[in-house]
Amino acid sequence: MGVRVLSQLLLNGLAAGSIFAIVSLGFALVYGTTRTLHIAHGIVYTISGYLFLSAITSFQFPLFLAILTGVVGAAGVGVLTELVIYRPLFKRNAHSAITLISSLGIYIILQNLAAIVFGNQTRILNYHTANAYIFGGVVLSEVQLLGLVSVIVITLSYSVTFKYTRFGKTLTAISSNPLLAEVIGIDIKLYRLMVFALGSVLAGIGAMLSVADVGIDPNVGFSAVLIAIVAVIVGGVRNFGGAILGGLLLGLLQSFSSWVLSSRWQSAIVFVILTTFLLFRPEGLLGVRMRLEEKA
Amino acid sequence: MNYVFHLLTLISIYLLLALSLNILVGYTGLLSMCHAAFLGIGAYISAILTLKLGLNVVAAFALATLSTASVSLLVSFPTVRLKGDYFVLSTFAFQIIVFEILFNWTSLTGGPYGLRGIPRVSIFGQLVDTPAKYFVFSGVVSGLSILLIIVLLKAPFGRVLRAVRDDEIAAEAMGKNVSLVKVKSFAIAAACAGLAGALLAHYITYVSATSFTLQDSIFLLSIVLVGGAGNLRGPIVGTVLLLLIPELLLFLGMPDTVAPNVRRMIYGLLLVGFVFFRPQGIAGEYRFEKT
Repeated sequence: MGVRVLSQLLLNGLAAGSIFAIVSLGFALVYGTTRTLHIAHGIVYTISGYLFLSAITSFQFPLFLAILTGVVGAAGVGVLTELVIYRPLFKRNAHSAITLISSLGIYIILQNLAAIVFGNQTRILNYHTANAYIFGGVVLSEVQLLGLVSVIVITLSYSVTFKYTRFGKTLTAISSNPLLAEVIGIDIKLYRLMVFALGSVLAGIGAMLSVADVGIDPNVGFSAVLIAIVAVIVGGVRNFGGAILGGLLLGLLQSFSSWVLSSRWQSAIVFVILTTFLLFRPEGLLGVRMRLEEKA
Repeated sequence: MNYVFHLLTLISIYLLLALSLNILVGYTGLLSMCHAAFLGIGAYISAILTLKLGLNVVAAFALATLSTASVSLLVSFPTVRLKGDYFVLSTFAFQIIVFEILFNWTSLTGGPYGLRGIPRVSIFGQLVDTPAKYFVFSGVVSGLSILLIIVLLKAPFGRVLRAVRDDEIAAEAMGKNVSLVKVKSFAIAAACAGLAGALLAHYITYVSATSFTLQDSIFLLSIVLVGGAGNLRGPIVGTVLLLLIPELLLFLGMPDTVAPNVRRMIYGLLLVGFVFFRPQGIAGEYRFEKT
């Protein structure tokens, strides 16, 4: 394997992984603070992608306005799922299975609605982002570059937020012990709402990058959320940053496995990895092994 | 008339599926999202045995049932100790891995093309070739299996399952091997699903991996949750209701381009509506509750 092939695969993997990482960080924020297996994260992704695409193709919005549409749409759908479904379930202290099934149901309803509104076929964005840069024989498209830059910016702002701001520390507190957090006067409802908004915005950013790169169909959200779930478990649920690591690793895995093996076996490999982690290292790569009685 | 018998045949097969999934969801409290994988394994094993090895249908049915039960050990044995979301995710993963194998192992399963020309059943030299005849056959096979399920659930074994569901620690304290009970309940449910798969394969005479996806598992789960889990009435109501909805849409003259999407939206709405407002379903007894 030549150095050029190797670095191209590495770059493709990181570019794909950067989208996974952004969406997964969004999922991790929601799952970490609310323990909601937010399958509907996938429909936030799909709807945001479609809004972005229609804003450009049907309404001829300028790029920044189209991005704003996607971001606001994502946050809106995310906040609505919390207000309409998760908050009432949280209030009546519902079993996690009930929350999971409701989330799945919401996903199914909205996915088919999206299919009726936007059509079942794949739609692509014929945008002038098809430019590419060539560094020493390695090709990097503008969208891929944008993805890499976004993941770096998002990772930095994530670290600063969680290390230095009250908001970040509060989320860490809620994540490690929601009951205690409520006892010391944290407004859990408000923080849940903010987390859903923020997590959904991240899903939207990932979706828009992916739309610009490969286009969209009504089913993309489901694979996106499945990847996010795997990334979060691989990275470590108790450390939000683990999702970024998990996402990047899955991107690299996808890129290298499609070179070594046929790309047909990709999802099978991803889910074998998920099972392996669930069974042998449920705390993830960045997690700390805990004694049973320490677990909340 | 063929249309009515076709529906009745499907209902008889799905009743077996729903009642077997109910053993896991309603009696043992395990939210399993891989029942369509068991259905698919049974369908493919029976299809491959008759098509490629020329085995007779009765032997193929028996082997499909037994091997699906054994395959279930692959998922149940390691995962029954997992709790909550992690358990559900592991069944998710199993469902997707099985689908990928059925869809991509082209030399054995025909890959994306599936397997065609699966032999029809013949009993006492009589070829079961019309929907009416097949309904009698599938009705008897699935009826007997359902009878077996009912006997099993009324027996002390059924009580052990419910004990594990309601309070694992108490069941363990009473000397029950909780993990083993869960593994057994998985094997029984998978065996029934495998048999249902064989019934389906020899009825349609064609199998395709795309009929055994995660969506299909979610559909089976919807039948149990909408009808109601934890007793026998619930899944029966669910099966009849959810299988008849698409036929009603057909009569309403919904255009083909949106009909599948509308159908799935209705399933989604029913699922959320019931889980949200009536978690025990239409006629069920059990609902997921924090202990």
